[in-house]
Amino acid sequence: MDDTDPDTDIVNDFEEDKDSSDPFSKRGRQSKLPVPEPMFPSSSGLRGFRQSTTMCLEHIREAMLHHRWQEATEYMVYFPQILQSTSEGSTQQNKELVWRLCTEILHHHPNSTLQDYNNIYERMKHSSSKHYLMISLEHAFHLMLHGCIEDAKHQLSVAQTWRYGKESVIQYQKTKLIHAYSSLLDYINWCDKKSANDGSDHDVLVENTEMQNSFRQVSSNLKEILKHPGVWDPFILSYVEMLEFYQDHTTALSVLKNYAHDSSFPPNPNAHVYLYQYVKRHGAPQKKLLKILKTLHVLVPSHELMLEYSSLLLQSKKSCHGPKALEILLDMLDFSCWRTNLDVWKLLKAVIEKLQLKPDWKTIILKRMSGRTDWWPALHFTRAHATTDSEENPELWAVKASLTKILCPDVPQSYVDAGDTDEEQIHTAL
Amino acid sequence: MNDELTATFTQPCAQCSAVNWAVSDEGRFYCRSCHNVAERTEDVVDTTFTPGSARISNLTRRSRTRTPDRQWWICEGFQFILKNQADALVDLGVSAHFRDQVLCQLWRLYLQKSRQAFTSDPIRSSAHQLRITDSDVDSEGSGSDWSGVLGNSVHLSESQRQVHTLMNMRRTLALIHLALVWSRAPLTLSDVIMLVRAGLLPYTDVYEKLPDKLKVEGVDVLTFRVHNVPSHQELHTEAQALVHFLQLETFPPISSQSQLHPALLSLRYLSDANLPDQLHPWLLHLMKRAAVEDQTLYTFDSTSCPVLPQHDIQTVAIIIVTIKVVFGLNDCTEWDLCDVDDQSEAVFSLRRWFRLTQAALRSAEQSRNQLICRTQWKSGCGLYQNRRSRSLGLKRKRTSDQVQRCFQNLSSPVAARRCSSSSFRFCWGGDDGADGPSLHHQKLTSVLTMNHNMLTPTNATYWLPARCTCYLDMHKSHFQDMKAWLPHSFLQLLNFFSFLIDVKPTVLFQEVLNLERRLLGHNSRTRTKTRTRTLGQGTETAT
Repeated sequence: MDDTDPDTDIVNDFEEDKDSSDPFSKRGRQSKLPVPEPMFPSSSGLRGFRQSTTMCLEHIREAMLHHRWQEATEYMVYFPQILQSTSEGSTQQNKELVWRLCTEILHHHPNSTLQDYNNIYERMKHSSSKHYLMISLEHAFHLMLHGCIEDAKHQLSVAQTWRYGKESVIQYQKTKLIHAYSSLLDYINWCDKKSANDGSDHDVLVENTEMQNSFRQVSSNLKEILKHPGVWDPFILSYVEMLEFYQDHTTALSVLKNYAHDSSFPPNPNAHVYLYQYVKRHGAPQKKLLKILKTLHVLVPSHELMLEYSSLLLQSKKSCHGPKALEILLDMLDFSCWRTNLDVWKLLKAVIEKLQLKPDWKTIILKRMSGRTDWWPALHFTRAHATTDSEENPELWAVKASLTKILCPDVPQSYVDAGDTDEEQIHTAL
Repeated sequence: MNDELTATFTQPCAQCSAVNWAVSDEGRFYCRSCHNVAERTEDVVDTTFTPGSARISNLTRRSRTRTPDRQWWICEGFQFILKNQADALVDLGVSAHFRDQVLCQLWRLYLQKSRQAFTSDPIRSSAHQLRITDSDVDSEGSGSDWSGVLGNSVHLSESQRQVHTLMNMRRTLALIHLALVWSRAPLTLSDVIMLVRAGLLPYTDVYEKLPDKLKVEGVDVLTFRVHNVPSHQELHTEAQALVHFLQLETFPPISSQSQLHPALLSLRYLSDANLPDQLHPWLLHLMKRAAVEDQTLYTFDSTSCPVLPQHDIQTVAIIIVTIKVVFGLNDCTEWDLCDVDDQSEAVFSLRRWFRLTQAALRSAEQSRNQLICRTQWKSGCGLYQNRRSRSLGLKRKRTSDQVQRCFQNLSSPVAARRCSSSSFRFCWGGDDGADGPSLHHQKLTSVLTMNHNMLTPTNATYWLPARCTCYLDMHKSHFQDMKAWLPHSFLQLLNFFSFLIDVKPTVLFQEVLNLERRLLGHNSRTRTKTRTRTLGQGTETAT
């Protein structure tokens, strides 16, 4: 029944109605069907308080999903009455709902001020014991992002001293998090002080008592926290930086080693990266560096440090390191992110050249390439690659072309040929 | 010194919204711009948190000690409530006769029948007493003397069965409705419900208007707490029960001059529904044919009309049947009738009418939904059952209020929400804010033809849903089953009118069926009927 479809533009339609004589035919202009109202099935059977709050929530959700933030704010004025609901099961849920909705709306509302955030966070914090720590943490993050480091620190220190019977015991994981971030803020303070006194001598800075205080707080906190398994990357870095500054190398090394090698911690390649960088900074022997990089290679074969690893192996005198270097570079090139990287290919060429000094280099290479012959040509040596490489990076093409025969001897050399013809075309054009 | 004190107080002034405070001699804060004195204890939004201060500050103790020598009864509380409600109605325009002569008498009759007053042998059980709270009195100590209302009603004796007829909030509305019908005021039950929803008839939070002497706590909270606005059917059932309890014999007759009689009430609904005035004479004609214009049908009488009549539903059913007779409403005839050559603005076209009303209906439903969202159920001081729930409730209320205030500052200033006390749902005309152009003046020439020098509707058929032989009560489920087979235009009309008077379409459909039964007679064998199944399963057409 097309004719009973209501139109929104009533006045215009009214005038046009007179003209059409045949109502069943399609009109010249498109009939503007209104967008259907969003369906709210869940509030159909409810009455009273629950109907009001459920309907309000649905309107807010619709408004937020469509980014109509002013409308969401209007409805949010009437929604907080859900906090007064007396139904036993849902009070915690309601509090979390109100907290998250409020912060989301404040994020997007053009006129929201920091004061509004502070109000909301304070109110919701004190209304709910289960969410106190998380809201404190979020509040502190928000203040940090807006540059109010002292306020953030104050929030976190208040949260650290929060005790609420069993609740604070149950939420000990979050307490650890709060301690960790609190020490991060101490570290930021320490950095600020350091940069404030930038002109002074290093020794003077070391003697600076304020900085020492911050350092002591950080170390006492972090020593405790770093014993627990977890991913503590930013905290580790800041701690190590401070320890280096105060020349406490043994502690720094032990912290990093612990972080990298403790099996109860989740496997974290960054730990090995940090350890490697630290050790390199302090001039460790090559053997040690190679050992660290070996573990890293197992974890992440495509890491950028693998380049360094293989160049180290190349420079070393041991004969077994040559094939190892080749292996590492081939593992790297298995990943498409390194496909167009000139350094990798150059290094590969250098490694192969060094290997060619040995009599059995062909077997070595074939052994390493045995698992790769079906898919490496498609990955690296197609005509399409040839065209792009010769256009964008002729040097790369040259290096790759020289290696195709060696790495994939049985495959038709379409890469080389394609690139050759392109080169000829370029030359003839010029 | 003053500046230091006032520097921390940054609440904008309630009257002039300026932040320009000074301290008066008595030590209170006053606004320099408008000299408005601030209630500092309430309005300060204290965002700093000091450990240990999350407890509610002690409420101020009552300055005068109250000696509990005067017992308050629940009925006295309800008397206050009824008075408030009646005053509100009189303010809205109902004649004072309703409140002073009718409602008062009914209330006294009720008190007499329930033996709470005006009788030589009043019930003075604890069930009827109001438990007073006193913050000085320990609630545990006083709790042992009372046994709760619920406890009483469990062990019912003959005399105590009257506890069931104790007044509750819903019954206040039912009593108001009875008084309105008795005084023949032009407010139907659906109008009463609409006024409650709009907040013009105090209901949800009327207990706050109870005087301080009657502060309620404990189990009595349940008596005064309101969880939702009752529906049309619920209130009708309550009113019916009340009529029987009060043993009312006959109501003042609702004659055809009275505004509750369909003859006149239909004018109001026709106008609200934007239907042409020319439809009214056909409506009266239909009423005569169906023999439903007699006043006995609309006046409660314990012998001839034992069911309290629902004037709004009956009137709307008559309107629907009239439209059905004139237009057909079988998804074919009415559109054929609209296809006449004369499409001028003076002629009524059902298609135009549908378009207008559907759009207006949608926006009206939206504003009704917004009104539901905006209703605050827990505003005011609230009713709590004991001290613990009071402190918890007040704490939650404080949080909720402060979050609300934060967003109120962010939201745009509220556009003047038309909290109109008009009983019309829609506004048709050329003014700003109207729902659409008015069709009242249009003529029905497209649907009428001259036949033997008399105007008759062009449409000559009338369809009926398949008759069922079950009892009336079971019809409630039939509408849902039949909905799939009913013509769309009929369903849309039904939905529109059920929104207009705020009842469920099932109820309206039932009334339409009743009216059709009267119109066409139960005994159908004397008529010739063509049983053409033109509309699919479940309908028949009659000529």
